Amino acid sequence: MLNEVDDMTQTDQGLASPAARAVDLSKTYGKGAAVVRALDGVNVEFDRGRFTAVMGPSGSGKSTLMHCMAGLDTPTSGRAFVGDQEIEALDDAGLTDLRRDQIGFVFQSFNLVPTLTAGENITLPVDLAGAEIDQPWFDYLVGALGIADRLSHRPSEMSGGQQQRVACARALIRRPELIFADEPTGNLDSSSSAELLSFLRRSVTEHDQSIVMVTHDPRGAAYADRVVFLADGKVVGELASPTADSVVEQMMKLGG
Amino acid sequence: MGKVTVKGLLARKLRLALTGLAIVLGVTFVTGTLVLTDTLNRTFDSLVGSAYQHVSFQIRSDTPFSATKAALSRSGDRKPIPASVEAAVRRVPGVAYADGSVEGYAQFVADGNAVGNSGSALGFSYDPNRQLSSVRLVAGRAPTSADAVIMDKATATKYHFRVGDHVRVLLGSSAPRTFTISGIVTFGSDDNLAGATLAGFDLATAQHLFNSRGYYGTIDVLAKPGADNVRLQRAIARVLPPGVQVVSGQTVANELSSAVSDALSFLSTALLVFALISLFVGAFTIFNTFSITVGQRTRELALLRIVGASRRQLFRSVLGEAAVLGLAASAVGLGLGVLAALGLKALLGAFGITLPPASLVFEARTAVVAIAVGVGVTVISAIGPARRAVRIAPVAALEDSREDEGEVSMRRRVRTGSIVGLAGIAALVAGLTAPTIALVGAGAVAMFIGAGMLAPVVARPMSGVLGRPLAALLGTPGRLGRENSMRSPRRTAQTAAALMVGLALVSAIAVLGASLSKSAKSEVDSAIRAAYIVTGPNSGFSNTVAPAVSRIPGVGVVTTAYKGPFELRGGQQSLVGVTTAGLPQTVNLAITAGRGAPALAAGQLLIDTTTASAKHLSVGSMVPVTFAQTGASRIRVGGIFKANPLIGSYVVGARYFLSHFDNPLPIVVLASTRPGARNVGRAINNYLNVYPNVGVKTRAQFEQSQQSSINQELGLVYVLLALAIVVALIGIVNTLMLSVFERTHELGLLRAVGMKRKQVKAMIRSEAVIIALFGAVIGLIIGTALGVAFAASLKQQGITEIAIPYASLVGFLVLSALLGLAAASWPARRAARLDVLAAIAAD
Repeated sequence: MLNEVDDMTQTDQGLASPAARAVDLSKTYGKGAAVVRALDGVNVEFDRGRFTAVMGPSGSGKSTLMHCMAGLDTPTSGRAFVGDQEIEALDDAGLTDLRRDQIGFVFQSFNLVPTLTAGENITLPVDLAGAEIDQPWFDYLVGALGIADRLSHRPSEMSGGQQQRVACARALIRRPELIFADEPTGNLDSSSSAELLSFLRRSVTEHDQSIVMVTHDPRGAAYADRVVFLADGKVVGELASPTADSVVEQMMKLGG
Repeated sequence: MGKVTVKGLLARKLRLALTGLAIVLGVTFVTGTLVLTDTLNRTFDSLVGSAYQHVSFQIRSDTPFSATKAALSRSGDRKPIPASVEAAVRRVPGVAYADGSVEGYAQFVADGNAVGNSGSALGFSYDPNRQLSSVRLVAGRAPTSADAVIMDKATATKYHFRVGDHVRVLLGSSAPRTFTISGIVTFGSDDNLAGATLAGFDLATAQHLFNSRGYYGTIDVLAKPGADNVRLQRAIARVLPPGVQVVSGQTVANELSSAVSDALSFLSTALLVFALISLFVGAFTIFNTFSITVGQRTRELALLRIVGASRRQLFRSVLGEAAVLGLAASAVGLGLGVLAALGLKALLGAFGITLPPASLVFEARTAVVAIAVGVGVTVISAIGPARRAVRIAPVAALEDSREDEGEVSMRRRVRTGSIVGLAGIAALVAGLTAPTIALVGAGAVAMFIGAGMLAPVVARPMSGVLGRPLAALLGTPGRLGRENSMRSPRRTAQTAAALMVGLALVSAIAVLGASLSKSAKSEVDSAIRAAYIVTGPNSGFSNTVAPAVSRIPGVGVVTTAYKGPFELRGGQQSLVGVTTAGLPQTVNLAITAGRGAPALAAGQLLIDTTTASAKHLSVGSMVPVTFAQTGASRIRVGGIFKANPLIGSYVVGARYFLSHFDNPLPIVVLASTRPGARNVGRAINNYLNVYPNVGVKTRAQFEQSQQSSINQELGLVYVLLALAIVVALIGIVNTLMLSVFERTHELGLLRAVGMKRKQVKAMIRSEAVIIALFGAVIGLIIGTALGVAFAASLKQQGITEIAIPYASLVGFLVLSALLGLAAASWPARRAARLDVLAAIAAD
């Protein structure tokens, strides 16, 4: 049954299960009076083949949501699914496999292993799995990201923008179910940001990649198909086909 | 953020604990050694004191030796005193008692085996006078007949002997005899004499057994109460024949005490050398830890400089940290050292050396030395890193700079390292040729420091080569481990340096041992022609063995060899006496000048080539010699033979030997066989069954036993060096832990992109194995060179062959890799357990 659903997703995304979803997800830190509700009953679905941005002020729980969805953190209650796989049901080895094979990560900084070259960083998840590299896909990625001439360089020999592009290539190399990007352009100048975001956009449009991006930047969010707004650990709104202006407007509304 | 701070603190605590451990072990060793030897010293002092507590005077022969080292030896190296002296002394007014006594070798046999060590099997004439003797009867009665013996309580308890039982006793001058136990004795309140067994006979029997009829070894005198001791001593001296002296009981006690403490100071020096080796290895670990943490704290230290800390303040703060660490570690080591001494004492007890239950002696000196050494080593090791800390530019606080060594400092390192290393080698070579042991030690230390400084230069390429098989075998984790070992060559090299020192010493000893072993075989091959070799305790065995062996059918020539101390040109030497009839059939003297057996038969001296050249002696030289029992005389050098440690440096004929030593015991009997004779070995063996302490070996067996005794000594040295290896491993654990904490973020990232815990462990382990192998390879190279140099310098002392034990060296390499693996287990587990979220959140 599940396989059939999986098969259907290849042809008809609209009817298929979402790439990831959270059901009544809560996460609290501390005890008693000092309790902090980082997530407070979040219900959200991230659609397959879509680019979703998650926005919200600092402390709204957007990073916690991402960590729980990716199996990096365990929720206090509620359920999180990647595809049809429930995160809670997995042990550490299962979670590791899930991250390696089904999820791609792009962090704000420190994305690359300093002792490995750019090329080795890109293929790291494949090498860790002991799998074969899909060479045409690899060539396409490094070409599209403009890092083909940087493959033998170490991270310390690359600019911040180049490092983030290498990280993107690594996130995509296994064609994961879902990519989580946590403020991927937070440390980049505007032109590097634009290049990176365009690439993410293209990978959704052209290769049906599913991406969830946590961001502060309304211009970044404008690259997404949909924006989910979080505040105080709750989903407080969302916006389809956003523009920078409409995002700012929505944020003002929520903030005010 | 609080989580991160706690982690940082924990990291620091762990680092301090691990670094301190390197010092704790060394200080424990130092303290244990000092406490143990002080305790032994005190124990023997009180033992000797109580033995001579009531003895006013002792009468004994003068010793003709200028320097008597042999105060502890039972034969006393003094002439016996005629029995008539006793009567004369008794008549001196003021003398209450004067009792002569004799001592000799008498070893009990229990269950067919000799009890204890032949060197500490004391036979003596029992003196029932409670005032003069410390031997106390606790059961039965004194021996009064020729077949009665009294036994120490320790032996009686251990082997279940009771009064009235029969016991066989091994003796020097006659075949073993059976006695009836008349009583059980203690020495003072102890069950035996510091481990020595006691066999007491009545005076006449003892004189007979120890071949001293009509003579005494010593006469103990008790003064009447109120006697003027000074006057009395003079009065006694007046009745003594020439060559006999009277000394106070206190003098004898003092002589014995100082002889004991001389022997113990040798033991404590030997143990302290190993303690210092492990401290030296610990110094590398401390240096490395402080280097790494100064590097990690670059920003913090630079910030301190920005807010106004002076260079001097920074320097002091780093050294202060080292001093506090050293002090804490020394205090712990001091406490553990006392426990270690207790353990060692118990261990001695297990070997039958029962010490009186005296409490441990803890001198103030022990604490001072232990703390000075512990703090000193720590602070000195931290000077280098502290200097690096003060060179940090304040601006470093603002930039994200890693500890990267520039070209200039690398070049300076190569220059300084080469100079220090070469100076060390020069000192070492000079020390070995001179020979000066202090120079050898200083040279070795300098050489190791030089090698430690140069190691980073080769660390990157060598780690790369050593890591390649791991990368191929383990895939990505192996490759990452290899990369990690290469990313900071200085760290890898400094961590490996500690193991390098340990392995260099181990392999040097292995080379030395293999060379010794090979030399021993060739010594036996070149010196002994006899088919059978009869050996027993080092102190010799019964005179009756040789005649009996010669009567066994098929036995050809039997050669008996004796050994005893004498003085040649004022220096104490060891003299060997051999029976000369048919000597060439049992011994190959390899004469290079003069004659061999005929010269011996003519009462002339043979010397070896080494002695001849060192003392400028040639055939025909007349040399002055002195014997304990016969005094000064001269002897002609009749021949020179090729040096062979098995034979010794000075050989005379048995007739000459026997005329200068009273009742010497043979130390070896050699037997050749007649052509066609069969089962001779079995016949000798059957005959020797009655002597549980004597055995027969073929030449091959003898070679093997020589080699196995060398291996035993090697084993002891390995055990003592193991501590240094352990300290080196602590260094590896320490570095890996620091690296794991330093790379928290990176580990988190690797886990986030799908590295399994098993793979994390494999990565850390690979790095550890590479570090260990790197240290081992350099250590083996240096150690082998060192061992060959040692062996070559000992050519005169009998290492004629140099052998490199390749199998052992490869074994050490494998062992090092395994130890590296073991060292990685904790850091690897820690890295694998890292909380992924916390790791990627950490900054």
